[in-house]
Amino acid sequence: MIARSHLRTSFTILVTVWLITLSRLTIASETDIVLVVHPSVQTQSVTRDTARAIFAMRQRTWPNGQAIHVVVLPNRHPIHERFTKEVLGVYPHQLQLSWDRLVFSGTGQAPDQVSTPSDMLEHIATTPGAVGYIERGYLDERVQVLPVE
Amino acid sequence: MSVSKSCPWNRASTSLLPLLLMVGLLRPASANEVMDTLQVHGFLSQALVITDENNFFGPSSEDGGSLQFTEIGANASLRPHEDILLAAQVISRRAGGDRDDMEPKLDHGVIDYQAFSDSTTRFGTQIGRFKNPFGFYNQTRDIAFTRPSILLPQSIYFDRTRSLGLAADGVAIYGEKRLPIGTFRAQVGAGKPQVGDDVARTLSLDTQPGTLDGDMSYIGQLLYEHSDGQFIAALSAAQVNATFESSDPLWNGGQMRFQPWVLSLQYNEEYWSLTAEYALRRTSLNEFRIPQANGSVTGESWYLQYTRRFSRDWQWLLRYDVLITDRDDRSGRQFEETGAGPAHARFAKDLTLGLQWNVHPRVLLAAEYHYVEGTGWLSSQDNPDPNTEKYWNMLLFQASWRF
Repeated sequence: MIARSHLRTSFTILVTVWLITLSRLTIASETDIVLVVHPSVQTQSVTRDTARAIFAMRQRTWPNGQAIHVVVLPNRHPIHERFTKEVLGVYPHQLQLSWDRLVFSGTGQAPDQVSTPSDMLEHIATTPGAVGYIERGYLDERVQVLPVE
Repeated sequence: MSVSKSCPWNRASTSLLPLLLMVGLLRPASANEVMDTLQVHGFLSQALVITDENNFFGPSSEDGGSLQFTEIGANASLRPHEDILLAAQVISRRAGGDRDDMEPKLDHGVIDYQAFSDSTTRFGTQIGRFKNPFGFYNQTRDIAFTRPSILLPQSIYFDRTRSLGLAADGVAIYGEKRLPIGTFRAQVGAGKPQVGDDVARTLSLDTQPGTLDGDMSYIGQLLYEHSDGQFIAALSAAQVNATFESSDPLWNGGQMRFQPWVLSLQYNEEYWSLTAEYALRRTSLNEFRIPQANGSVTGESWYLQYTRRFSRDWQWLLRYDVLITDRDDRSGRQFEETGAGPAHARFAKDLTLGLQWNVHPRVLLAAEYHYVEGTGWLSSQDNPDPNTEKYWNMLLFQASWRF
């Protein structure tokens, strides 16, 4: 009997831990960081895989042929770290390595880097084809949100 | 070979010119728009190499070690049209040898035309001097920031015949397909390889008058990446051909064929990665009029590497790397019996412990220790006396800067 109640207690603990972990993961995926693009971009939404390819600098053009200009914050910026993990599901060092491999082998270019979220908005608003990311609270009418499916 | 060495720019520009003209006709984007896409990057690395026995990259076993491992490079890229990328890089590198080795060389110079692209597929072509996709690290092997350690595993990325694998002058085609199960990438290329003195030296052809000239060669890689980059697998294969041109009719016209295969696997977690590569390398010499000069050897290489990030800017590495020069003579005993040299010159087993610190996004400091049994990947340039030591230790320090 004692063994059995132990088993039941352990099971309850396991399920609780699992539920807590699950709810934390759910919260993590509900990020307040959104993809933003220049108003000239006609694409209505992108999949996570496409977003990843765009920010890895492996997708050079929008589906209508327009050149993509990727804008990022520095690797160590907290919003950049959250963006890569929460929206793309990769780590900043992975993205950096993928850019370096393109830049130093003649197979691609690095993204444009800006230092603050307001510079990010400014750069996207003035560059046709530009894409970046911002915390929802910073949004303004000069840029468009690009939903990630 | 001397042509490609002294004026790589000329050769690149003659092949690139018609394409440049075509680019201009496609759609005359405004000069401002084009200049906005110009990017310039570069790097500089300096290492100190210290060994207790044998020499690696200069007189490393003497006094305070060798400072003869320097890598300097700069590249520029431009997008004159949304589907066209122009990119070129010049590298000046010395790894032992002469001061003249520092002479800058064209590392790559390509026109990249993306012929098709939609939301899951793209393919295109690179024309010019393109980097050979070989294993995980070959395309950017000279850039410290893309390496997990100061030295890449020498069994596969050996420096003593590095010129062969670097780049080729010709045409490559690439394709990429994103599927729900992951991304597939393929690249195949055909072109003339760069065959440097290092290859002739390794094949013991440097004792004869003449040079090895690269002939049409082929390379291909198929790579699979799970969508978040957690798992990556690649298979690379190449056939590199060269002809020995000599004033001595006995040696003139001899053919060299190098056929390596590499299987590459990597598993990534947030704080650690496990990487393994396995290679088979067949080298054959044919059509020399001296029968003893002809023959073929198949070598085998593999390594297993664990890297661990222990804070945002620090990483350590543990690696075991094995090179077998001749699979039919793993211990090197038959080689020793012929009197050609010691058995341990035919293999190398390298246990490496490394540390990297990203002091700043632009600065990387690294240190590493190698415990090596065998001298299979040591060059005769660094060790003219064949009486090398079987067991040796090596310590390296490197500082790198980028922009």
